[in-house]
Amino acid sequence: MATEVLWWIFAAAIVGASAGVVFSRSVLHSAIFLIGSMAGVGAMYVFLTVEFLALVQFLIYGGAVTVLILLALMLTRSDPTGRPEPVNGPQLPFALLVGISLITILVAVALDTAWGDSGEGPANIAIETVSERMFSDFGVPFVLSSVLLLVALIGAIILARQEEGE
Amino acid sequence: MVPLENYLVLSAVMFSLGVYGVLARRNAVLILMSVELMLNAVSLNFVAFAAYLDPDKVLGAIFAVFIITVAAAEVGLALAIVIRLFRNRATSNVDEAASMKW
Repeated sequence: MATEVLWWIFAAAIVGASAGVVFSRSVLHSAIFLIGSMAGVGAMYVFLTVEFLALVQFLIYGGAVTVLILLALMLTRSDPTGRPEPVNGPQLPFALLVGISLITILVAVALDTAWGDSGEGPANIAIETVSERMFSDFGVPFVLSSVLLLVALIGAIILARQEEGE
Repeated sequence: MVPLENYLVLSAVMFSLGVYGVLARRNAVLILMSVELMLNAVSLNFVAFAAYLDPDKVLGAIFAVFIITVAAAEVGLALAIVIRLFRNRATSNVDEAASMKW
């Protein structure tokens, strides 16, 4: 019972923080809300008994990604003193329409489908099992993702560096 | 025990908020943050499905690890592009970078 109450608290926090990300007027507030949303998803991973993934989520999203986004926001302040620019474009009604229709369809599908849930819920997932599968069955994608990270690293350096004569 | 549908509805709400953000925002960094919301919703969905429906129960976590890896690479590259755009155009609004628009 206590688990359900906690779950609803965290779910409300996630929905509130995500709404803050997309509806907030200030870009910095959006970034702060994003940290809350990512941390909430990490808590959801704990409810799903994948504690390893929760740690990864806190470290990479809560730490690295949000710090990167905050740095980029501060490096690209176009008008730090003057009036704030409108954060939303003229396509706002269309975006609202798409968002509302998508949420209706997705929730209807999620609730109407018989998922064949066994009713036993999440069992404990040991980190050893995850790593064994990751390094045996998913060995090639694992190595490929390291290549992807290396290419992205070099590409980001080349894109962002100051060229001569600039 | 929390039923599977709760997780599905939660991630559907997150994903739709992300789609709304991607479509409505002007600032490229804000669009990127909305994309992060969508990616998180998807990986939460993967893990929930694996925990409730898959007898294996491990695949969801592995998929989520790969999603996080690709998302990290994507954020690094996209922010480099935004900084380059800002240096060339003095703006990070996507509707002002329209010189390739036909």
